[in-house]
Amino acid sequence: MITISGIKRILPHRYPMLLVDRVDELVPGERLTARKAVTANEPWYRELSAGATDEQHAYPPVLLVESWCQAAGVLAAWDTPNPDVLAGQVMLFGSISEVVFHRPVLPGDVLEHRIRLVRALSDTVIFEGEALVDGEPVLEVGRVVMAMRPATELTEAAAGHVVADQAVAAARAVVTDRAVATN
Amino acid sequence: MSETAATALDKEDLRRTVADVLDVDEAELTDEADFVENLGVDSLMALEVMVVLEKKYSVKLGESELKEVTCLQKAYDLLAAKLQDAA
Amino acid sequence: MPVRAAGPVQGTPKVLANGPDLVAVEVTVEPGEQVFPGHYPGFPIFPGVCVVEYVHLGALATAPAPGLRLEAIESTRFLSPVFPGDRLVVELDWQRKGGSWRCKATAGTGRGRAAAVRLRFAEGSAR
Repeated sequence: MITISGIKRILPHRYPMLLVDRVDELVPGERLTARKAVTANEPWYRELSAGATDEQHAYPPVLLVESWCQAAGVLAAWDTPNPDVLAGQVMLFGSISEVVFHRPVLPGDVLEHRIRLVRALSDTVIFEGEALVDGEPVLEVGRVVMAMRPATELTEAAAGHVVADQAVAAARAVVTDRAVATN
Repeated sequence: MSETAATALDKEDLRRTVADVLDVDEAELTDEADFVENLGVDSLMALEVMVVLEKKYSVKLGESELKEVTCLQKAYDLLAAKLQDAA
Repeated sequence: MPVRAAGPVQGTPKVLANGPDLVAVEVTVEPGEQVFPGHYPGFPIFPGVCVVEYVHLGALATAPAPGLRLEAIESTRFLSPVFPGDRLVVELDWQRKGGSWRCKATAGTGRGRAAAVRLRFAEGSAR
């Protein structure tokens, strides 16, 4: 079992995008089971209208996938934990395929993510699995491919970007902060 | 997910499966079209094709074998050899 | 505009074109997006699934039929990172697929393609 503090030593993700609460079972290089509780106070529900229906409280499908993939990330990174994204290797998503949503997930549900390692190659890992609520499948994941890449691939792209767009981004940030503050 | 019985190797069925994974039209996926050079597929996707084929035909491929397959004909020949060994 | 469902992204894609030969939407990934502080602290990168969410919203905004519901992400390829301030342009191609609809999309920034996404939608509400 890995508690939240342990997960934070492995994954760089933080609030509001740390979507794995606990790892229940881990067989390195083979499989993992983890959980994530869904509550009505998730930040994604902040802008819902007052009279929102249950249906409208369905957990965003793409975040079900993100939560599942972060659990897979723990399995992938277990051998080389790298919470500092800027140094060493970083795990980048290559692709996600054949993901099927079986039914909506609502506040009060606890997601049980099941991850199986399909293939581990020198610089690439491929996972499959599903997510269950009360033993019933809510999400099916056909294939997720993650590639370990030198972090410099990201930082160089970012550096190139920052130099060119820094003024624009900074100006927008001011505008956005003012807009966020007022609405 | 229980392992299904190994599917019989049929080139047109193989073409359909590979075209779907690579997200290209079957017409483009000729026997000799190179996944990376001609179809603009990245190496990650070429690898993914082989993992899908491993599962579909219930065969085990080594990392080097995976990386040798760069077109449909090579995939077909490798699978045929593997299935024959298994038979 | 359909009632906004709960979601991780705060921008609203604007329809640029919705004709027979081109369907496209655009949205700017504002530095103020709520996901950035946690993804990652000190190094904001727009999460791949959030790019997929903008494709999803863009698909709903140009849907060929009303009341479509996301049934599957058939495939998604992440091709280059997206950063705060990037203007994301998404081109979409809708096709009938048996009893459901398939939407093939590519999302790009000024630096080139960011993601290729294939979504499948069912008609009507969840079972």
